[in-house]
Parts: sequence; C-alpha cells; structure tokens
Amino acid sequence: PFKLLGILDIENIPCARDSVLYGSLGSVVAGFGHFLFTSRIRRSCDVGVGGFILVTLGCWFHCRYNYAKQKIQQRITRQGMKNKLLYEGTHLDPERKQNNRNSSN
Amino acid sequence: MATPAQLGLQNATSPIMEELIAFHDHALMIIFLISSLVLYIMSLMLTTKLTHTSTMNAQEIEMIWTILPAIILIMIALPSLRILYMTDEFIKPYLTLKAIGHQWYWSYEYSDYEDLAFDSYIMPTYFLEPGEFRLLEVDNRTTLPMEADIRMLVSSHDVLHSWAVPSLGVKTDAIPGRLNQITLASMRPGLFYGQCSEICGSNHSFMPIVLEFIYFQDFEVWAS
Repeated sequence: PFKLLGILDIENIPCARDSVLYGSLGSVVAGFGHFLFTSRIRRSCDVGVGGFILVTLGCWFHCRYNYAKQKIQQRITRQGMKNKLLYEGTHLDPERKQNNRNSSN
Repeated sequence: MATPAQLGLQNATSPIMEELIAFHDHALMIIFLISSLVLYIMSLMLTTKLTHTSTMNAQEIEMIWTILPAIILIMIALPSLRILYMTDEFIKPYLTLKAIGHQWYWSYEYSDYEDLAFDSYIMPTYFLEPGEFRLLEVDNRTTLPMEADIRMLVSSHDVLHSWAVPSLGVKTDAIPGRLNQITLASMRPGLFYGQCSEICGSNHSFMPIVLEFIYFQDFEVWAS
C-alpha cells in the first residue's frame, strides 16, 4: 500500500485520504491567497503549510467523529436485527409487548 | 494472522482492538503532520540566507513551542487513557481460562469444566497439512465461544513468557508466581494466531498460540 512519508497509509485508514486532500486544497487556497494580497513568497509558503496542518487536522477530527458515530449506529442496528430474528414471535418480542399494551389501553 | 511482510496492525477481532486501531490512526495522523512540519522547517533552514548570531531571548517562540507540544500531548493522552480504562472495566465473565507458559509450550486449563486441560505444542513443519501455517499451527487449539466475555488468567511454570494474540489486542506477561488477568471477547468466529512475546530460551519463537472461536452451542458440545 502507498504510504505518505512512508508512514501514513492513505488507502486503508478511514478519513485519511479525504483529510489530506482537503488539507492540500486548503494549503493552496491559503498560501496562494496570502501571496495575492502580500506578494511575499516565503511568508505565503509558511501560511500554506500552516493551512495544510490546520485544515487536515480539522477534517480529520470531523470525519473520524462521524465515522465513530456511524460505527456505533451500525453496531446497534446489527444487534437489533439479530434480536428481532431471535425473539420475533416469542414472549420476549418487544413489538408484541408494545401491541399488547396498545390493545389493553 | 499476519501476511508476509505485513507492517500494519492485523484486522480487529475484539472491540478493544478496534479502539486501538482507531487510536493508532489518530496518533499516526498527528505524527504525519508533525513530520511534515519538521521537514518544511528543515527545508527553510537550508534555503535561507538570513543569519542571526546574537539571539538573547525569544519569548514568543519559546511560548509557542512549549504550549503547542503540551496541547498535542493532551490530544494523544486523552484517547489513550480512555482505552486504558476500557481494558480495565469490570465484566462478568462467561468463562475463565488459565494459560500457563512452559518451556516451550502453553498449557490451558478450563477450570469451569471438569477435567478439561491440555497442552498446546507447536506443530512441526513436517506434520503440516497443505494450507497450514509454518511456525503458527499447534496440535491442540484453544477453543472458545465467540461473543462472550472470557477471563484469561496467565501465568508461567518456569521463566517469563508472554501470551499475545495481536488481532484481539491482547498481550499479557506470564510471570512465575503471579496471575495476570485479562478479558477476551471475539466478535466473530475463526482462528486467531499469536506467538510468545517474551524471550524465554532457545525455542521462544516456537511456542505459538491458536485460538479457535466457535458458536456457543458448538462450544458447549466441545466442552462436554
């Protein structure tokens, strides 16, 4: 697998590729924008690198947070599907208890 | 198990290992960004014509390169501690299994069942069937139920060993005269391989661990 700087496996780590791509875009926008306003090359490069780090980190945290939420929801859904298969039609079926409560009301 | 020339972590089988992989990704991204920054600063230093030989104080930069690393360390430490405390959570185990290290094999005791204990030696290469893995297969696999919390008690009969199964995120030292406890839980059935991880003599590399996780009903049949 291809690894950025020999360490970051952007193919297999979730959110890595998107974060680095958005970071690169942010770096170009920030650096080039700074240059357009100030015409200072070295300082614009510094701003570009700073922009890369901040945008990559921001995208990374945002994406990983959503990824973790999605994984938890997937786990709950998978467990719910398994429980439905196991308990459907039995006295432990929560839908049956719900229907009984509604009909008694 | 690991594939040839594999450098990264194995796929997670337990929830703790999933968390560890996520933490590893998090730490790796921070390392990557710091490395990029350091490479950039090195390139700046190599290409500047400026010199300043009489620096007396630099309060601002000192503040930055003290506070920023502290923030980075906190960003790494918080998830790390979360996982550390997660591994120590109290659970009600379904099963207790003792793994005792010997020179050079593991023995397993299922104390919850009568008369269920066996030794697990490496399968010599000339006894392997096609498709089996060299230096990883054993004669008696440790069979366990999947999706159940299992308490592992690890100790040793002679010298230091270490009971490690990477895909479960488990590595526990086997120390003579001491019982170390760890919790296992596999989310899926299958075979999971590990090797002794503490130097213990000439055959240290030849005492593997193979866990076979199977469905509950099959485990009950096997245990009885």
